[in-house]
Amino acid sequence: MGAFGALLRKDLRLELRAGETVLTLIGLSILILVAIVFAFNPVGGAQDAATAAGALWVAMIFAGTAGATQALAAERENGCLRALLVSPLDRALLFFAKMTADLVFIAVGQTVAVIILVLFFNLDFDRRLAAMALPLALGIIGFAALTTLLAGIAGRLRAGALLLPLLAVPLFVPALIAGVKASALALAGAPLADRLIWFKILVAFDVLFTSAGYMLFESVVTEG
Amino acid sequence: MSSAPLIATDGLGKSFGTEPILRQIDLSVGAGRALLIHGRNGAGKSTLLGLLAGLLRPTAGVALLFGEAAYRLEPAKRRQLGLLTHQSFLYANLTARENLEFFARLYDISRPRPLIADWLARVGLAAAANELVRSLSRGMEQRLAWARLMLPDPQILLIDEPFTALDAEGVELAVALLNRALARGAAVVLTAHQATAPAGLAPDFRELHRGRLIAPDTRPHARALVVDPAGARVSFGAA
Repeated sequence: MGAFGALLRKDLRLELRAGETVLTLIGLSILILVAIVFAFNPVGGAQDAATAAGALWVAMIFAGTAGATQALAAERENGCLRALLVSPLDRALLFFAKMTADLVFIAVGQTVAVIILVLFFNLDFDRRLAAMALPLALGIIGFAALTTLLAGIAGRLRAGALLLPLLAVPLFVPALIAGVKASALALAGAPLADRLIWFKILVAFDVLFTSAGYMLFESVVTEG
Repeated sequence: MSSAPLIATDGLGKSFGTEPILRQIDLSVGAGRALLIHGRNGAGKSTLLGLLAGLLRPTAGVALLFGEAAYRLEPAKRRQLGLLTHQSFLYANLTARENLEFFARLYDISRPRPLIADWLARVGLAAAANELVRSLSRGMEQRLAWARLMLPDPQILLIDEPFTALDAEGVELAVALLNRALARGAAVVLTAHQATAPAGLAPDFRELHRGRLIAPDTRPHARALVVDPAGARVSFGAA
């Protein structure tokens, strides 16, 4: 817990001081939600559940990708990542610490995005909205694992910032479909049994990419 | 003091693609010894340090630290390894003290606060302890990087261009820190463009030329700054 705690505390402290990642996440989320509201002109209420859910997940993908790029960029500045790699730190722990920091930043961004969603789509703060928390949480975990791993690869490349969304979006498609379906069903008030299959897909995605990150992160961040 | 090499390479080579950067590097540095590897830009000095630090995978031969392959050095052994390059390895948006606290936790140093205060004072940054690294001058940042390097008392020190960005006082400080490390049995590899060492430091010299280490006595043109053991007198002589 010592090194993990130190890494996480350092990332959160850097973020509190600069606010770059969370501000980017919130700013992009607002822009995307505004664009979708103008494009689809929702009339409000549960009939727009699918659109609202889709808007939220699209915002998460693009804002989260930008956030992940920035989260690892701090480690590349002044060569700090090399200092971590030379240190006695377990490199798998580095993945989990970066993933957890990314997860916190995306979660903060998504919390703000949900509030904006409620306003734009004329939703209510009720049990239906609360039911969306689980698929959203599962999606954030999987997305944080995926983007942390991919940011490790992209950070070594000259066009890495461009490459990250190109890699992340196609790989996230299974979770995106499951997340949008589960969220739309939650907003429409569907029973838990109808949403269960989508939860299973989200959990499988989380397990897959968290395991992949644990096993591969050391290889992707070390130099050739 | 043990003469067993803490740092050794055997036929070490590194290529990027088809381009060989380092070829057949054989060196050995024992406890309490310092080796200064000098060469022109592009000679492969930084690549060699990267290989010794285990940050790069060799394409030929092996780099050994504590008798183990550097690339696969276990975390407990990495605790005894210190690396300093032209990059400071410091977080620009953390203060000088916060940076040292972070690295102290990473190296599992118990009760680090007095030690950190001591190191900040030793490198002349006690008054700047709560300043963000991004607001420090390049020289102050480099002094802090030296404190970060020395904080865990590493047994192996790998330092790229150690005296860059330091003023005369900073160089004197760096030499004192290196000599202190050597006195407690650390092995040191330094790289530099010039075959010179500042007064008070007496490393062995080797030249890296186009990816190969040249034996000292095969370079009649080369002259190195030689320092007598007491560090009181310097003269130019063959490296």
